[in-house]
Amino acid sequence: MDQSMKRTLQRLIRRIPFQLLKTTLSKWAHILEEDLLLLDFTQPKCLFTENLLSLCEGKGTTVKHITELEMIYIIENPNQVMWRAFQLLDAREDAPSIELTQFKEQFKAHLTELNSHVSIKIKKHTDEAVWIRIAWGDNFTKPNHLKPTYAVHHLQTPYVFVTGLTVKHKPLLNQALVLTTRYGSIKDASLSGRNLVAIRDLLMRQYQQVFPTKHPKPLQEKNHVPTNPNIEKEQIENTENRLQMACEAFGDGTLPQLQKAVYQLETKFRDNSNRTLTGSDEPFRGVVEFTSTNLLESLRHAVSSGIASTPVTPLLSSITQKGRNYFVVTDKGV
Amino acid sequence: MSLLKPFSKLPELNTANILLVENEEQFQQILAETIVLLKKNVNVNVRLARSLPLPIENEKFRPRIDLVVFIINLTSELSYQSAEVSLKFLDPDYFLGKVCFLVTNARNASVPPERLISVRKLVASLHCPLLFAEDQMTDGVNTAAHRLLAILKVTSGHVPMATGLYLSSLTRCTVPSDIDQQNFD
Repeated sequence: MDQSMKRTLQRLIRRIPFQLLKTTLSKWAHILEEDLLLLDFTQPKCLFTENLLSLCEGKGTTVKHITELEMIYIIENPNQVMWRAFQLLDAREDAPSIELTQFKEQFKAHLTELNSHVSIKIKKHTDEAVWIRIAWGDNFTKPNHLKPTYAVHHLQTPYVFVTGLTVKHKPLLNQALVLTTRYGSIKDASLSGRNLVAIRDLLMRQYQQVFPTKHPKPLQEKNHVPTNPNIEKEQIENTENRLQMACEAFGDGTLPQLQKAVYQLETKFRDNSNRTLTGSDEPFRGVVEFTSTNLLESLRHAVSSGIASTPVTPLLSSITQKGRNYFVVTDKGV
Repeated sequence: MSLLKPFSKLPELNTANILLVENEEQFQQILAETIVLLKKNVNVNVRLARSLPLPIENEKFRPRIDLVVFIINLTSELSYQSAEVSLKFLDPDYFLGKVCFLVTNARNASVPPERLISVRKLVASLHCPLLFAEDQMTDGVNTAAHRLLAILKVTSGHVPMATGLYLSSLTRCTVPSDIDQQNFD
């Protein structure tokens, strides 16, 4: 066990919160149950790490084992990092036929062809997702295990979710993915968030949707609350209408958790009182950002309670309709 | 444009009707439920609206409204603007003692002080009473409900020897002059 491996393991243990430490380590096949009993989980973390390091030293731990532990942690707790979605375009005829072993072999082959100094690990998770961990190196350095890139791909779907990817390595990963999955090209889906399951659900439309209907009967039944006969609402239809519109735009039930939506404005400045800005040829640039712990839920509430006007503006409803949360607004439209 | 008129319908026996107008519809609902549950010797009906004018379809079934309450949430500019617009759809006769304003969230630190002053100016110009309410706690809601009910009893004519006009000329809001305001600060 050399110095860099020790550092990697130390960093990894530091990243894992104390309450998750025991469960994560117990899933690590490298450490047996008897070994776990030797470790004292009540110790402070620095002492605990020392003990774990000495234990691993005795067992002849390799980089492979450490990356395995890291993958276990990331797969179990994917919400600690920022995920970006990418969309594969132009499927070739044989794209649906690809299966796991083939994918594994070909991805490794394609990526090592582009850059032979990488360390790749591929693992299949229970929910049909393929998790890929890549540690990048180049001609002069060994693969850097401290800053790996993670990519999650569900076979037979055109989406890939990536975290920790630098601009330098983006073309390499993109090319390997496109070749392996047998698609024509890949593009940024303009969607990012901390909750991996949420952005997956949003893209694959796996949340409860409401479609426009002329007979909003079921909704009325559902919202029927016995009220006092002495209370009467004057604009009751209005309220129901707004609720229906809000659900049509953002979906019903629990919504995927998105953290923010960003609108980049590149439009002409229009204000007659300010001549210099109105006359200029350059577009006026500005960024509007909405943030919340659950953005879609907030927007739905804003619409249904009448804070935002109805019908819902296409700028807001396209978050769900197009599955994006980054928009560039120009004069011609979104 | 249909004006809401106070004297276009006959009153019913032992009944008082109150109309709560609030843009956000949350405090309104809680307040209505509290008012209805209060112990009282008249039958009180509460009608809720987001804004005026009220829909024409309900015109036929709507009883005579004895008190119109505009609820303004001070943290939201929209709430104030909506109340201001709604005022235009009220018959001038209402301002002879059958309108009052209820302000919530006035103690909130994020409220710009100018907003309360503009509300006071608006209310003072209409010669109406201005009430303040705490909307986060049940006690606050109860107090507000009691106050409204007391006013409602007067305006609906259930208190002998008192009328809405008489009450509101005693309780109406006034804007302190600038000198007073400075001393107060």
